[in-house]
Amino acid sequence: MKIKQLFRHSETYVLFIVILFSAFVTAINPAFLTLENLFDLLRSSSGTAILAIGIFLVLISGGVDVSCTTIAIVGQYISVNVLIATGFDNIWFAFAISMLLGVTLGAINAVFVSLFKLPTLIVTLGTSSLYHGAMLEFVGTKAVNVGGLPQSIKDFGAFNVLNVSRPDGSTFGLSVFFVILVVIILVTWFILKFTMIGRGIFAIGGNLEAAKRAGFNTRRIQFFVYMYAGLLAGIMGVMHLSLIRYSNPNYLVGTELSVIAAVVLGGARISGGSGTITGTMIGVILITILEKNLIMIGLSSYWQQFFVGLVLLIGVSITYLQAKFQDSGRRIIVKEEE
Amino acid sequence: MAEVFLEARNISKTFVGVKALDNVDLTIGKGEIHCLIGENGSGKSTLIKIIGGVYKADSGIIRIEGTELRGMQAIESIRAGIQIIYQDLSLFPNLTVAENISVNQMLESNQQKVNWKQVRETARKALAEIGEDIPLDERVESLSVAKKQIIAISRALTQNAKLIIMDEATSAITSEEVSHLFSIILKLKQRGIATLFVSHKLSEVFQIAENITVLRDGKLLGVYPSSELDEEKLAYIMTGRMLKFEPYRYDEQMKDPVPLLEVKNLAKAGQYRNINFQLQKGEILGIIGLIGSGRTEVVESIFGIDGADSGSIMVSGKEVHIRNPRDGMRHGIAFLPEDRLTQGLFDVQSIGNNIVITILKSFLKKSRMLDVRKKKQAESEWVEKLSIKTPTPANPANSLSGGNQQRVVLAKWLATDPKIFILDGPTIGIDIGSKHTIHEIIRDLARQGMGIIMISDEAQEILDNCNRILVMSGGRIIREIKDSTTISRDELLDVIAKRVETGADA
Amino acid sequence: MKLNISKLTQYKFKEPKNKYLFIIMLLSIIIMTILLPTSFLRGSNIQSMASQFPEFGFLALAMMLAMITGGIDLSVVAAANFTGVVAAVILNSANTAGMPAGTAIFLSIIAVLGIAVLCGLFNGMMIAFVGVPPILATLGTQGLFLGLATVITKGYSIGGFPDAFMTIGNGVVLGIPIPFILFVIGAVLVALLLNRTKQGFNMYMLGTNPTVSRYSGVDNSKVIIKTYIVTALLAGVASIIMISRANSMRPGYGSAYLLQAILVVVLGGADPDGGFGNIPGLLMAIITLQVTQSGLNIMAFSPFFRKFMWGFALLLVMAINFIAQQYGDYKRVKRMKEQVAATAS
Repeated sequence: MKIKQLFRHSETYVLFIVILFSAFVTAINPAFLTLENLFDLLRSSSGTAILAIGIFLVLISGGVDVSCTTIAIVGQYISVNVLIATGFDNIWFAFAISMLLGVTLGAINAVFVSLFKLPTLIVTLGTSSLYHGAMLEFVGTKAVNVGGLPQSIKDFGAFNVLNVSRPDGSTFGLSVFFVILVVIILVTWFILKFTMIGRGIFAIGGNLEAAKRAGFNTRRIQFFVYMYAGLLAGIMGVMHLSLIRYSNPNYLVGTELSVIAAVVLGGARISGGSGTITGTMIGVILITILEKNLIMIGLSSYWQQFFVGLVLLIGVSITYLQAKFQDSGRRIIVKEEE
Repeated sequence: MAEVFLEARNISKTFVGVKALDNVDLTIGKGEIHCLIGENGSGKSTLIKIIGGVYKADSGIIRIEGTELRGMQAIESIRAGIQIIYQDLSLFPNLTVAENISVNQMLESNQQKVNWKQVRETARKALAEIGEDIPLDERVESLSVAKKQIIAISRALTQNAKLIIMDEATSAITSEEVSHLFSIILKLKQRGIATLFVSHKLSEVFQIAENITVLRDGKLLGVYPSSELDEEKLAYIMTGRMLKFEPYRYDEQMKDPVPLLEVKNLAKAGQYRNINFQLQKGEILGIIGLIGSGRTEVVESIFGIDGADSGSIMVSGKEVHIRNPRDGMRHGIAFLPEDRLTQGLFDVQSIGNNIVITILKSFLKKSRMLDVRKKKQAESEWVEKLSIKTPTPANPANSLSGGNQQRVVLAKWLATDPKIFILDGPTIGIDIGSKHTIHEIIRDLARQGMGIIMISDEAQEILDNCNRILVMSGGRIIREIKDSTTISRDELLDVIAKRVETGADA
Repeated sequence: MKLNISKLTQYKFKEPKNKYLFIIMLLSIIIMTILLPTSFLRGSNIQSMASQFPEFGFLALAMMLAMITGGIDLSVVAAANFTGVVAAVILNSANTAGMPAGTAIFLSIIAVLGIAVLCGLFNGMMIAFVGVPPILATLGTQGLFLGLATVITKGYSIGGFPDAFMTIGNGVVLGIPIPFILFVIGAVLVALLLNRTKQGFNMYMLGTNPTVSRYSGVDNSKVIIKTYIVTALLAGVASIIMISRANSMRPGYGSAYLLQAILVVVLGGADPDGGFGNIPGLLMAIITLQVTQSGLNIMAFSPFFRKFMWGFALLLVMAINFIAQQYGDYKRVKRMKEQVAATAS
């Protein structure tokens, strides 16, 4: 019974795919299942995972957010430029600026979603164009390369919380990024599970009208959701910068769809109200190993996008085919034992 | 009468020039089971929304246990112990039973954090109070409507309800579930909780109510102890006229040796089985049964919405295979669905487009392009034929009243020139006047030789308009009444409620 | 003045929103003409505008069809990329193999249209038979199509087409750019599809309420599949114009068009919830956008500013729509109540 229930969730399938794929990759290339590669995967995918959590929250509330990646790059690019311009070379300062920007831009999204009640996909498409265009026009278009990058950001990217030495004496480690991700997962989980605002996010995603009647402040909840997603995007922006040590104002934009794909694969319902953080993380893992490890099995990285699309289609097909069959079986009226 | 709990005096409410309520009184005693009854548009829902503080009355006062509700705000009513359970139940399908029950209490106490132990405890207690046992961790979306209702009632109990208002609570549950609901209401009564039961169905009212308040056109017609009334009297009070009119008589001469429609051993797993009946030209065959009896499912299969698993359907003696609505239409079957707003009508599209959708093919020229002139002509023709009140067929369908909207749906199907017309609840949500004209239209069609199947909740409507009646229950036809004039309303109601031995299928 | 416009629009505009669009379009043209008296209305500028927008106009036509049925097609640009890459490969190899240009062009166009039909069929079946919401289905196929395009080209751009092929995107007939002519034909065909065929009629109805259309005997699956096939075909035509204008094809080309397409479709009066959308509205929205873009271009505003403007315009239009609708609803309810009151007394 329990196992049967487990198979109703698409994240179970996705987890299986992850395990199978990992086993497959390991069989072909044993370098996959090494601590070093795992640490590296964690380091490079933490940012995506954080974005995914923000998008996950938006999906739960019944919306879609395609502006997260834009918010991340805006936060990143503006904060690095401020750091350079002021000469105040401090990682906390960078985070503060980026997070503040993220929250503000998220709040603008919320204004259109909550006050004007516009479709969230179209709002966030519009705002992402607005934010990105404004930044390129009014802030600048020149990339900041590693030479011009503030030292604190480079240091942060290289900071490991745990070091392991290789046989030859050199070391590799577990990046601080992973710690940030874990903290965000825990905080988000706590909010969703143990606060009224968190339950409110589920409630408005399940039945907005009922949420209003029950006395949830739906406006406040929507503002919280989009501002929180913006905040996470802001954090991700700075992390991304210290990961690749290069700030190109055109990066990240355009990758939002694969993050959404990860969240949906993780079992979050596009119509809102349902999904888990665990599922979301499994979805991110799948997308990440697809994107990063095709080379390991001898497929060129050009296949990446194709496989992400394919896996997404298979994942959602399973979910919706199941829903279709369950639905037709539900209208039981006659009791056969009569 | 026992101690008074709620007293509303001289309540009036006007919406932009229309008096929705005119000097209405309502008194409910502690623990009383009271019924508020009236036609659609009589002001029932306005009154309960005023009591619930959703609307503010223009004049009048409401006293709860002697103290006046001054602000007339939702929160004030809730604090005073009034809980409204709307027809849609306002539940969260994606959340668990436990959370749905306790969510209002958590919001009420203004807490910021969720204590899951407390959530479960609250839910368990509320369910126990009415002697129910529903798994607390089940998601609400997987439950039946009746169970959902119980959850909504339990939720009301967590708010220290002293009066629970149920808006059209029985419209989507089966007869067994209705009696279960009534037993819960009696349990509430024992705990001193009053129930205001809002309905437009007469039959249930007498089973449960102690007192009945009747509204019509926003005015109070009277308050009656239910023991002093019977259904007929109440119907008269509600509608202001005797509804009896000549029942439809079937002209036996129209009968063909081969029936227009014959259904043999039709069955669909989990929905209905062993369905056998015939329909002759010119007949109006009534199918009556409670929700969940399988009546809608059977006719939907005949039309092709959801095909049957086994059995055969013969049209004019020829066996036909119907797998989708297009098959049904090809064999001359038309189907007016139960829910006009979600199944019958494109509310925001033009009246004309609503009508011609079924006959679009006939406007195609050789080039496969639509002949727009011909289409427009047909639109105006049908608007005129059924005297739909609109300046132009180009207006959206939602600009019409309920009765006129139903005529649009009728027109859409009549345009296909059907031999067999199935009408599922043709007068739901339509005021008395329009109801009558729609009945007239249906009778005329039958007289011209169309075979008609009519489904209704209302026994009287079936008796008045059908010459033959099938009664369904539990997915089977439990009785056929060959001549509707041989049975009285009460007898028919007894058959429906399975209070008499049917003998047909036992 | 006010009276004049309302009288004029009473007869001309079936869709009420088009009245405002018409004014917005006129205003944008007038403003640009005043700001740029010498350069804006010059023949060469008009010609360049007319050759610029069709590739994206076709994508907008495609997007509108999906939206009318209550869906969305996020895969249009990817489908254009995919078909474009295939065409580019054929043209390029035909060119190097010395195949006659006519044959090569014919082959490539057939390939584009054939693959487009397959792409649309796939989208349509995912939505109609599997039951995946259009936004997810086309999100997935976007990755699929773009991925295939990338795999074929290995990320490089493919160029070197027969000269004759270039005339499709750059040629001029009687001073009118060929892409523009193609677009006019496309728009007329789509308008005919929407207003004069059973498929078009059913698309509006399905978009309004799929249950009602099913209960009315409409074959919903067929309507959806046909819609997405036409959508992909339009994307295919866009890709032919794209590659011949640029004389090369690279996956990812035109990715910004996705947002622009959604923008003009919504601006043109289509409802993201389905059931509404019309060619005159869409054309006016496209013209408004092209005029504004071209004007800003002449005034040396950067493309980034235009991106900013587009986002801004989209949000502004939607917000105004919302407010206007609320006001309209309020007025309608009021009018209906008054009618009820009048009949009651």
